[in-house]
Amino acid sequence: MTRFWRDDGFTLVEMLVASAILLAITGAIISVLNPLHAAFGSQLEVSDEQQRLRAGVDALARDLMLAGAGVYAGPVAGSLDHYVAPIVPYRVGSVGDDPDAGIFYRSDTISVMYVPAASPQVTIRNENPSSTGVMTVNAPATCPYVQSEQLCGFEKGTRGLVINGRGQGNLVTITGVQVQQSQLQYVDTIPVPDGPGRFITHLILATYYLKSDIATNTYQLMHYDGYQTSLPVVDDVVKLEFEYYADPEPPRLLSGILLDDPVGSDVTYGPKPPPAGADDTNDSWGTGENCTFALVNGRQMPRLPVLSTGAALVRLLPEHMTDGPWCPDEQRSQRFDADLLRIRRVRVRLRVQATVVARRGPAGTLFSHGGTARDGERYVPDQEISFDIAPRNMNLGR
Amino acid sequence: MVAIGLMTGALLSLAQLFVIAMRTNGSSRNATYAAVLAQQKVEELRSLTWGFDVQGLPLSDTTTNSAVDPLEPNDGTGLSPSPASALQEDTPGYVDYIDAFGKKLGGGGRPIPGTAYIRRWSVEPLSSDPDDTLIIQVLVTRPGSRPQPTRFVARGPDEARLVTVKTRTAR
Repeated sequence: MTRFWRDDGFTLVEMLVASAILLAITGAIISVLNPLHAAFGSQLEVSDEQQRLRAGVDALARDLMLAGAGVYAGPVAGSLDHYVAPIVPYRVGSVGDDPDAGIFYRSDTISVMYVPAASPQVTIRNENPSSTGVMTVNAPATCPYVQSEQLCGFEKGTRGLVINGRGQGNLVTITGVQVQQSQLQYVDTIPVPDGPGRFITHLILATYYLKSDIATNTYQLMHYDGYQTSLPVVDDVVKLEFEYYADPEPPRLLSGILLDDPVGSDVTYGPKPPPAGADDTNDSWGTGENCTFALVNGRQMPRLPVLSTGAALVRLLPEHMTDGPWCPDEQRSQRFDADLLRIRRVRVRLRVQATVVARRGPAGTLFSHGGTARDGERYVPDQEISFDIAPRNMNLGR
Repeated sequence: MVAIGLMTGALLSLAQLFVIAMRTNGSSRNATYAAVLAQQKVEELRSLTWGFDVQGLPLSDTTTNSAVDPLEPNDGTGLSPSPASALQEDTPGYVDYIDAFGKKLGGGGRPIPGTAYIRRWSVEPLSSDPDDTLIIQVLVTRPGSRPQPTRFVARGPDEARLVTVKTRTAR
């Protein structure tokens, strides 16, 4: 009978041959597995980059899509651009306000404004509230979430939009609430419009900007709420750029609608001018004029030029957005360039880098900020994405 | 030998898993980019003029060329209704080619060298309101991922397909 094992062990030659075979096979496997393992190790970082890109796109797209949403019901329903520029290329708010510092353009900053859906419209009772900085309001019984320090959802720090029955509007910031007296304390930079039918509604103000701190190696997409809070949205964002595309046509008067009609807006976009024989005391423009219309031979004509002969949107350059005419006028610190009212599409460029330094190679095309990785298998290059948003409420009628 | 064979098999299976994981990540990246590119085209088309002029008459953009960057006012199709096969095959005026970095290479009827994504779109008047409402569809696919032409228009792997409605509204 044949036996498959021996009691006298292996010879030295047999052991050497077996070891050599084992070493050769193991070496071959390791030579394949080692770079694969290095590349696989970078996959977590790759998917993390993708996830952060998606988060950044989602956050920016959500607010940009809503930019310009105005009051949803009533005689002044429509886009916010009849009162303010809903998209501006700089920071706006109580802390670090760019217009206060005379800055009206940053390539890596954007502020958007909109009235949130189903926001209550609270009627203002007292005349000339600007003299006291206090509004007495009629809080309807249906007002949502009334709490001890809230009145119809207004609380300290809330932004509001005040509009009168003539369709004139202005922004305010609530600084205090007296629920029992139905009063809102506020600050404004331009007196709130007087006249019958005034009401206040909520306004969302959001600023997105790039925080680049070389000393602490911090690069973040930041969100500022326009009052006191700035929070990071996405880490390791190394590039944030905005481009603006504009309606080539200037604002025009809508035919068949009288300027002194108290209902509705009388222009294609932007603030409507006062009637030809009247003056708006809130600005320094002449009788019948405002920042977008001038009186020429007794007729109200657009101040802004036609940017191109076709209907295609035209890219707004920084000089377009900082050369005036200014709304409400040049004397106000809280002014904005009237060309910002033309914005119809925004292009965003967002670039993120690997968080782990060991996954970044030398600074250059692939890496905005260099790292310590020395071989290609460990590289996780920066990822960049570009996307466009056409804010729905700034394209009404287009 | 049996033990070495087993070990080799196990380790090669592990290597295969690495490869699958990396492919999945690559596919995820492609899907993300395709979705963003599709959304970008939707936004471009939504920003074209489809409203009323100051006299209240309908105003439609039928000439803008959105296959180039920046958009050109002429030589394009704007929001003109597309042929029925615009999503199924590359149709001049309703397709553009994008490189791996998301940059437009141009339009035409066949992919341009360097094309990483093909973006087709269709513009179709809504049957119940053909004068004022359009259905816009965008399909982003990869070169060679589907035979040309094909009647298959459902979304495949690494592809994105978006649908939106644009309505003419008074100011």
